[in-house]
Amino acid sequence: MADATVLPQTRPLSPAWQIFQLVPGVLLLAAIGYSGKVIEKSLATYAKAHHLTLPNIEYVLWAILIGLLISNTVGVPKVFRAGVSTYEFWLKAGIVLLGSRFILGDVLKLGGVSLGLVALELAVAISLMTFLGRIFRLRPKLTSLLAVGSAVCGVSAIIATEGAIDADEQDTSFAIAAILALGALSLFTFPLIGHALHLSDRAYGLWAGLAVDNTAEATAAGALYSDAAGKLAVLAKTTRNAMIGFVVLGYAWYWARRGQAQAVGNKTAFLWQKFPKFVLGFLLISGLATYQFFNKGQLTALANLSRWAFLLTFAGVGLRTNFGEMRKQGWGPFAVGAIGEIVIAIFTLGMVAIADRLLRL
Amino acid sequence: MSSQSDAPPKGKRWGLSLDAWAVVAALVLAALVRAGILANVPW
Repeated sequence: MADATVLPQTRPLSPAWQIFQLVPGVLLLAAIGYSGKVIEKSLATYAKAHHLTLPNIEYVLWAILIGLLISNTVGVPKVFRAGVSTYEFWLKAGIVLLGSRFILGDVLKLGGVSLGLVALELAVAISLMTFLGRIFRLRPKLTSLLAVGSAVCGVSAIIATEGAIDADEQDTSFAIAAILALGALSLFTFPLIGHALHLSDRAYGLWAGLAVDNTAEATAAGALYSDAAGKLAVLAKTTRNAMIGFVVLGYAWYWARRGQAQAVGNKTAFLWQKFPKFVLGFLLISGLATYQFFNKGQLTALANLSRWAFLLTFAGVGLRTNFGEMRKQGWGPFAVGAIGEIVIAIFTLGMVAIADRLLRL
Repeated sequence: MSSQSDAPPKGKRWGLSLDAWAVVAALVLAALVRAGILANVPW
């Protein structure tokens, strides 16, 4: 009888231990985010005391910059990594709580406008990225991942599509790296362009929500402009996120027809599985706020809880961005992504300008 | 991968996705605020 290979038994971690492992990273997110707030306040106090006119740099940018500095110099030690990766959780909880700052009527009106613009943005982004992928001779599934990432919601969309189209892990890594690098660039370029063009808070917020890929970066790019722009960016981005199931289903069907992915059985179950549930939470809280389930003080408390959740998110955006790691992934996907993103940004800016003029956003 | 974290959060821990847990956490916080337990949240 052949000797059996005995594999080491790994005992599953208890829920309490898994939560405990998150603590150092979450504390790091909180420390970085709070430092950003302290720096913003200290600079404002210093400028006032010395009668100086300093540019008001929001805590959002400080938190991202501190995170970037750590990530790209000493790196994030392993003990913090599990907790740092919770920034997506805080982002989604923050979006649900942000629903308290929207009247349901506004959500329906602006969401309706966003939905129309999102439909156009999706069609243009997917067609353009597919075309660019062919020109640059990227692998077809890598092109699909880049198209989904830039059209819908960045990394989440890429991960959702990876399983549905049986994509290579390497292609997924390339696509994620390109989308993250472009997201980091958009954090700094979008507010500058918005100010240069004197965009209103609403127009800018809508533009950031339509054109910036990752939800965290779209939220940060909006908040960097103004509080009101941040709200609108989240609403537009949430509308875009709601489309994820349909786009992933379309790609799954496309690749299954070519015999390169498994066919989707129950389409309703597939759509529900891919649907971002935080959109429903956002609508629920907005509905409760509209029908005065919360009093004024409670609405302020909910809005502040949302700000604290976003504070942790912005720190996480900086900490997870490592330019050295991104460079290793190669320039092809990045070039396709960059060209595509520039065209999409110009196209969505044009759409928002027209919508702003016609509908008086 | 470009991120320093080991893997992006894929969800599905203890039966619920990351999305769903975020909604649950936000609704619990909203309930605490409504009940007056979290009456004052400074910013």
